[in-house]
Amino acid sequence: MIKIVIAEPSQMLRSGLACLLRDVPDTEVVFSTDNLNALFSRLPALHANILIVNPLLFEYSHRATLRAEFDSHPELRLIALVTSYLESQHLRQFSGIIELNDDLQRVKSTINQVINTLQSDGDEPDTDPLSEREKEVLICLSKGLKNNEIADSLNISVHTVITHRKNIVRKTGIKSVAALTVYAILNNLIEEKDII
Amino acid sequence: MSNSSDLSSRLSPKMKMADAINQYHSLLTVLPRLGIPLGFGEKSVEQLCVEHHVSQTLFTLISRVYIEQDYYPSIEELRQCPMTDILHYLQQSHQDYLENKFPHIEHHLNTLLEPMDKKYSALIANFYQEFKKEMVKHFEYEEEVLFPYMRQILSENEADSGVHHHKSAFQQQHDDIEDTLNDLTNLLLKYIPAEVSSSERVDMLLDMYALSNDIGKHAMMEDRILLPYIQYLESQSHD
Repeated sequence: MIKIVIAEPSQMLRSGLACLLRDVPDTEVVFSTDNLNALFSRLPALHANILIVNPLLFEYSHRATLRAEFDSHPELRLIALVTSYLESQHLRQFSGIIELNDDLQRVKSTINQVINTLQSDGDEPDTDPLSEREKEVLICLSKGLKNNEIADSLNISVHTVITHRKNIVRKTGIKSVAALTVYAILNNLIEEKDII
Repeated sequence: MSNSSDLSSRLSPKMKMADAINQYHSLLTVLPRLGIPLGFGEKSVEQLCVEHHVSQTLFTLISRVYIEQDYYPSIEELRQCPMTDILHYLQQSHQDYLENKFPHIEHHLNTLLEPMDKKYSALIANFYQEFKKEMVKHFEYEEEVLFPYMRQILSENEADSGVHHHKSAFQQQHDDIEDTLNDLTNLLLKYIPAEVSSSERVDMLLDMYALSNDIGKHAMMEDRILLPYIQYLESQSHD
């Protein structure tokens, strides 16, 4: 569940936004406030992922370095809720921008984009070549065996076969069995005559 | 506001077509399908649309699908757009794939595979042929089943039941085609031995990425324009 905090002076906007967010799956508004004092006192305990904040809450002199105010929350993504003109260099500190006249679709897509950056953060690209076990599964796949047949012949569970298959797809970037077979032959894992 | 990514402020009808294309290259493939020839000098989007009898609403709609990743037109927008023209555009796209894009990629592919060991090259050539067969089948389904059905409900504004299964079957097909194209791209990029001419390979990959992008947009037009509109028409006729 993605935890969202809203900081915006207008009650109408706070409630409206919270209402829109109900339609964004896997998100939850955990706190909403009209002032920075309350925000900064509650933030440490909230473990929020996203803060949607109106930059006007910050004094003008602080806006250029606004991100620094959140240095103790490096994981927190900031989305600006823009209700009047703001300088673009100030807005560059935000991961996303929601404007007053954005429609529901745009608000959702902004939030989803920011959520995607959250989720991709932990994913190191997988640069390992296929493991010996994965190669064995791949060879079976190329020979036209089904998951349960592969499980039997390698003496592993179907669940494990599926896990290996997911890893093979993730590492190679290839999804179809037909293309995986080409991969197996190009890498001399099997001979063409082995394919049925 | 400078941060607005609202397209209506970026691609306006008064804009010079040349400026629009220079900014959004992928629109280049759209023009011939709409019957707008190149060499248009300083003419604006609006002027060219009028000159070549292309609905400006249609042009904007297609452009937005190409430019904005998250664009889902509203039913209101769709109602203002001539649907038969969209069908015509999609059909022209099919023809463009078959007559231009595929032969072009095949030409690259043949040059690329020629110096390779036959047992490998035949395999890849075969994989490509399977992909193409899948595409052709998909086009045929649309042109023989889906588009005629759509023309029928457009003219009669009257739906017969039992067609609701189209949507899911349809999207599944798109995903499969895009996956296959992606598989082929990865094979060419990652796993074909390095001794194969790299300039030919780079050209081919650039074409593949362009094709993949275009087919993705083509699928978006069908999933986000055609199908919602069919559902809308069906719901109207049931009221």
